[in-house]
Amino acid sequence: MSRLNIFTRGLIKDNAVFVLMIGLCPALATSSTVRDGFGMGLAATFVVVCSNLIISMLRKNIPNEVRIPIFILIISTFVTMIDYMMQAFQPDLYRALGVFVPLIVVNCMILGRAEAFASKRSVIDSVLDGLGTGLGFTIALTIMGTLREVLGNGTFLGMTVFGEAFKNSPVIFMIMSPGAFLVIGILKALINKYVKKEL
Amino acid sequence: MTSIRQMIITLFVVAVTCAIILSFVYAFTEPRIAETQAQLTLSGLEEVITAYEYKVIIPDTLWQAVDSSGENIGVVFRVFPQGYAGPIPITVGLDNDGKITGIRVASAAEGLVETPGLGAKITQPGFTEQFKGKTATDVALEQEGGSIDAITAATISSRAVATGVKKGIEMYGACLMPSCDPGIVFSDADKFVEVIKDTLWKAVRGSDTLGVVFVRVVQGYLDDIKFMVGYSAEKRITGISILYSQETEGLGEVIREEEFLEKFKIGIPEAISGATVSTKALINGVVKGIERFEEYIE
Repeated sequence: MSRLNIFTRGLIKDNAVFVLMIGLCPALATSSTVRDGFGMGLAATFVVVCSNLIISMLRKNIPNEVRIPIFILIISTFVTMIDYMMQAFQPDLYRALGVFVPLIVVNCMILGRAEAFASKRSVIDSVLDGLGTGLGFTIALTIMGTLREVLGNGTFLGMTVFGEAFKNSPVIFMIMSPGAFLVIGILKALINKYVKKEL
Repeated sequence: MTSIRQMIITLFVVAVTCAIILSFVYAFTEPRIAETQAQLTLSGLEEVITAYEYKVIIPDTLWQAVDSSGENIGVVFRVFPQGYAGPIPITVGLDNDGKITGIRVASAAEGLVETPGLGAKITQPGFTEQFKGKTATDVALEQEGGSIDAITAATISSRAVATGVKKGIEMYGACLMPSCDPGIVFSDADKFVEVIKDTLWKAVRGSDTLGVVFVRVVQGYLDDIKFMVGYSAEKRITGISILYSQETEGLGEVIREEEFLEKFKIGIPEAISGATVSTKALINGVVKGIERFEEYIE
C-alpha cells in the first residue's frame, strides 16, 4: 500500500463515521453546529496523530501483554493535553463540547488505529494513517454539523443563511438529538448508494 | 513471553513519563485557564451593571459593584433556577434602590440546556430587556400578576427566569432594602457600625458597644434561610428577623412567626415538630452565628 493510499484510506473508503461506523457517540453528540463538529474533529485528529506517532516509535519496546494499558496511557495523556489547551485557549468551544473532550480517550477509532496500525508499522506510515483517519472523522462531523446547523438553526458558523424569516422558525428538530440520527442515516444511505460501489 | 519484570518496568516508565509531561502542560496552561475563567465571569458582570470594580462577597455568587470613587452602586448575583430541561444560569444586576439594572441568561455554550429555538429564547434581549428597572414585586409573568411577558411556547423557561430573579433579589438584595436595617433586631442601640459589609454590625449607644447584629444564611428544608440576629453583651438575643425563606407553607414557614421568634429572646428554643428541619436549621444557624461573632463585642 503506497503512502498516498495509507493517507486517503481513512478519508473516504474507511471513513470512521460513515463507513466503519465507529466513534459514533461524539459524532452524534457534538455535530449540532459546524464549529462544534469541526472542533471535535480536530481534537480527535490531534490525539490520533500523536498517539499513532508515539506508539509506532515505541512499538518494539512495548511488551505484547501490556500493550493495551500502555496505548490507553499514551492516548489519555494526549487527551488531557488537548483538554487543558482547549480550556486555556478556546474556552467557548471547550464548554460547548463538554464531557466529550475527555471522552476522546474511549473513542474506539483511536485505540483501533493504535492496535491495528501504529503498533505494527513505521513512524511515517502511522502518522499518515492517523492524519487520514482524523481528517476523515473531522470531515464527517463538519458535514453533519453543517447540515444540522443550517437546517436547524438557519445559520452557518453563526452567519444567517436563507434570510431572517427562516432563522426565526427553522427545523429546530435538526439540532436536537433525533436530527443527528436522521442526518447520519441519510448520509450513510447516500454513501452506500453512490460512493462505496466505485471504490 | 515477556518477563513480569519487564512488563512492570515498561508500564512504570510510560506512566511516569506521561505524568511528568502532563505536569508541565498543566503548569503552562493553568494560569491561562484561571485568567480566561476570571475574564469570562467579569464580562458577564459588566453586561448587567457597569461598575469600576466588582468585589467578591460570596465567590461565584455575589459581588458588590463599586464605582471609581469607591461608592457602592449595587450588587450582582447569580442564580440557577430549575427550568424545563435543567438549571438556568442567570446573572442579575441590582442598584441600591433594589431596581434591576440588567439580567443576562447564559447561552447554550455556557451551560444552558433549555430546548434550542424554544426555551433557549430566554437568552434573547427581547425577553431579558423586560427586567430592566423592575423591582422584586413586578418580577412575575403577566398571567401571574407581574409585568413580564412570557415567550410563546416557552412558559416554563420564562417563569423559571422570573421566579429565579425574584427569589434572588429577595435573597441577595435584602440588604439594599429598608428591612435590612439592623435597628429592627436591636432597638436599644442608636448607631450601628458596619464591621463586615452587609453581614456584621456593632450596636453602639453613645460610646458603649452594646452588642452585635449579624446576618447569616443557612440551608433550610426547601431553600436557604437568611436571617438577622441582634445579640447583646449580656449574652441575650435582642431580636431576630427572617430576611428570606421559602419553606413549606404552614409547616416550615413557622420560622417567620412572631411567636416562634420571640422565644429566642428568652433562650434557645426547641425544634418544632412538623417543621424540624427548618426550625433546627435556624436554631443551629443562630447558635453558630453567636459563637462566631461574639468576640466582636468588646
